[in-house]
Amino acid sequence: MSRRRRVSPVVWLLLPWALVYGAFFVFPFLFSFVLGFLHYNPLNVANTTFVGAGNVTRLFGDADFHSALRNTLFFVIGTVPVTTTLALALAWLLHAPLPMKDAFKAAMFLPSILSVVVIALLFKLFYAPGGALNETLRALGLQTHGWLTDPATALPAIMAMDIWAAVGYYALVLYAAFTSIPESLYEAATLEGAGHWATFRHVTLPMLKPALGFVLVINTIRSFQVFVEVLVMTQGGPLGSTNTLVMMLYDTAFRRLDYGYSSVIAYAVFILSGVFSVFALRRMRSQTPVQQRGVPA
Amino acid sequence: MMRYLRWIVLLVAIVLMAYPLGWMIAVSLRTSEGLNLRYYADVWNSGPFDRYFINSLAVAAVVVLGNIVFCTMAGYAFARYRLRGGKLLFFLVLSTIMLPKQVILVPLYIEMQRLGLIDSYWALTLPFLVDPFNIFLIRQYLLGIPTDCEEAARIDGAGEMFILFRVVFPMLTPVLAVVAIHTTLTNWNSFLFPFILTNSTSMRTLPVGLALLAQGAYSIDWGHLMAGAVLSALPVVVAFLIFQRRIIGGLTTGMTR
Amino acid sequence: MMRRSHMRALGVVAGLCFLAAFSCGKKSGSRSTSVHLWQFWDIAVVAPIIAEFEKQNPGLHVEVEQLTWATGLEKIQAALASGTQPDVCELGSTWLPRFSYEGVLEDLTAVYEAERDSFLMWDSALYKGRVYGLPWVQGSRVLFINRELFKKAGLDPDRPPQTWDELLQASQKIGALGNGVYGFGQNIGEKYVLYKKFMAFAWGNGGDVFDERGNVVVNSPAMLEALEFYLKLAPFSLQEKQEVLDQYFKTGKLGMQISGAWNVKNYALEAPNLDYSCALVPKPAADRGEHVSFAGAEMLVVFKGSQQKEAAVKLARFLQAYPQAKAVSLAAGSVFPAAREAMNDPAFTKDPRIKVFVEQSLTSRTPPAHPGWNEMEEAIDHAVEEAMYGRRAPRWCLDDAAKEITTIAARFNQK
Repeated sequence: MSRRRRVSPVVWLLLPWALVYGAFFVFPFLFSFVLGFLHYNPLNVANTTFVGAGNVTRLFGDADFHSALRNTLFFVIGTVPVTTTLALALAWLLHAPLPMKDAFKAAMFLPSILSVVVIALLFKLFYAPGGALNETLRALGLQTHGWLTDPATALPAIMAMDIWAAVGYYALVLYAAFTSIPESLYEAATLEGAGHWATFRHVTLPMLKPALGFVLVINTIRSFQVFVEVLVMTQGGPLGSTNTLVMMLYDTAFRRLDYGYSSVIAYAVFILSGVFSVFALRRMRSQTPVQQRGVPA
Repeated sequence: MMRYLRWIVLLVAIVLMAYPLGWMIAVSLRTSEGLNLRYYADVWNSGPFDRYFINSLAVAAVVVLGNIVFCTMAGYAFARYRLRGGKLLFFLVLSTIMLPKQVILVPLYIEMQRLGLIDSYWALTLPFLVDPFNIFLIRQYLLGIPTDCEEAARIDGAGEMFILFRVVFPMLTPVLAVVAIHTTLTNWNSFLFPFILTNSTSMRTLPVGLALLAQGAYSIDWGHLMAGAVLSALPVVVAFLIFQRRIIGGLTTGMTR
Repeated sequence: MMRRSHMRALGVVAGLCFLAAFSCGKKSGSRSTSVHLWQFWDIAVVAPIIAEFEKQNPGLHVEVEQLTWATGLEKIQAALASGTQPDVCELGSTWLPRFSYEGVLEDLTAVYEAERDSFLMWDSALYKGRVYGLPWVQGSRVLFINRELFKKAGLDPDRPPQTWDELLQASQKIGALGNGVYGFGQNIGEKYVLYKKFMAFAWGNGGDVFDERGNVVVNSPAMLEALEFYLKLAPFSLQEKQEVLDQYFKTGKLGMQISGAWNVKNYALEAPNLDYSCALVPKPAADRGEHVSFAGAEMLVVFKGSQQKEAAVKLARFLQAYPQAKAVSLAAGSVFPAAREAMNDPAFTKDPRIKVFVEQSLTSRTPPAHPGWNEMEEAIDHAVEEAMYGRRAPRWCLDDAAKEITTIAARFNQK
């Protein structure tokens, strides 16, 4: 460490971030937090009233909120494990000497390059009558279906789309983790007489923990915020079957002009993603083997 | 035998992934007069798309550069220095990811307006110059790199800035590739904030231009919409294909430390 | 190690930044001598009109901005919240009542009194006896029929269905053609659309959401009848989102649907060989009810607090005036002037299909001018959808909607 303790280099290092954060995020965050305790309407700022915990207690009795909560939880629980498992499987498949590997990697990454809006528009057409999916079913002699207009299939259809869009990216992340596992560990396992599955469970998986943790946390947080897809494809319908928390938040603020309540919903999402992430990380950490390195905080 | 099986399963997976994309391109090319680029021409001519393109490019370049420099600085600080309240700071960083950004839309607009920055390149770049997600990535990566080189340089009497930019920075290439691609993607496709924070046509970015198109004459025409979508994705796809090795290489080593 | 003092230093810097952001910001930019207009049409369409206005009013400069339908409302809200709203703004007829209620609009009753008989579609601008907006352009929904499918089904395309029974029969016959062809198109599964189609039938039957005294009558017998009829069409209908319906009609797989003029423009470009015509929305019976339809009107408002009030009102009146509204309509191709003159202008009456739109606007309605309308329309959408999905009997769906709408109305302390 430098002997000159005048100003720690840390201050300089963190200065740009502090400036941007301080200037552009502190105020909006504070504002949005305070909004949760107010009844605020941008058209009538002068009439803003303090409602204390009123917005929060309103959450408990709001059937729309409960339904949005259910839908969002269903979405998260339905997509995150599936995406992670599929990504793991793809990564494992990739982790072998194969022809055209680069092409595969590139193809897998492509869906994540497109913007969510583009993917949503694409799948809106894909799922429509006369769209690719229904036409394929018809060609195969199967029954076509209004995937996005049936309350029972609308949310699963959006979930399938989300999995399609995310799998490639996470598979590459996990593939990277695969390549970092030292051969020596596999050799040791084979010497001990471990079969494929045992090797996977006791050598591969533990070494993947950090990457898996990363994938789970990021995917969970992003899934809790599913919104653009719903906005483009169904706007929360049919019959509220695809109404998610952020969709409701958006609608509450910009259509119903109830910014205070909307803010409370936002913080509900915040808390939920935080809780789920911490939970996921704890579970991963409790099984950390001795050879772990570079563990996330 | 196993190898062929793997390859086939992978192939099936890839086809499943590519199928909707192929469909999208097919729809954008299938005009009422057979296969041609008419929709693309219509979209390009419907507004100053070259200006939109340049705007998107300029903004993306500035934001990516800013992130690479500033997030490295912050990531280095978080990784190498034990900060009192470091955990708290880190949580602050994560919290910006966990809060839905729609809720800060209007407050940010109010602030930008007070600063007189609405409808300028500043509005499109400043708030996005330091993405906490990138700080997180760089920190994780650095935690897995031993400090030997840095210690050696320090013993030789090098200053902190020198150590950061001449010693550490080059070692970060893989994770910085990830930072670059991640930031580019988020920024290139972002619509809501650029739209809200700008007004004039000359300030528009590509997604905003496309959204305006989608509500105009071609609002119900799948061909035009898909052509617009392909156009907006094209630059990033091209960049990706060119830098593919480095990007995937970055992902390959960047996440595992 | 990072010293506490350094942490504090950082915190102070951050805090100073954001305080500075607040104090030194200028509240408004160089807005003093310009009139600011926010609207939804392509700048290319509006620019010549603005140029003409500036020529006729030397010394006045207009700054125009284009909003998107998707996020325009958010932008207007952000502007109002920060005090940077424009002087003149285009607002949809379904949003206007809320703005009137919140008291952010200039009173334009004087203009109304002068121009009242020259324009249609004033209703959404009326609030508590005063007028807060000027009708600019509007678009009704009419019945589109595919003439070829009519012929195939043994129907006469020159005699489109005039009554509900005829509509039902035509749907049945065309639906019976099979081969992926549907008789009628019903909207489902998205917001902001369904109630527009349903209310056409409801209003035609004499039903409505409120009666003259402001009571909620959305579950009246007339409304129930309309809903039950609407459900009768279901077995022969394609129930899908608007763009799918439009697409199906375009490719000749849909016999009839109620839709808007954006299709006329699009079909001319993309399906020039499509043999279709337009007709007024059918009424309940030959001797009963009316050919009523839904119309969306675009209104021009002036925000209170405008520094250029006089110039703003002048600009709004200029835009609203027939020649300008006509220019916008012709360029946009999907709307018509709200001015009555359009009814007799060959530009709008020459094409028989366009003529129907113009005719229909004489008996079209905008939704009740209630500040809570955006929530109420969702209640109606929900009721009709629930009935369409067969979740509950129509009468309970409407009863629920009535309860919901009453609750919403109570919140606004009104009507």
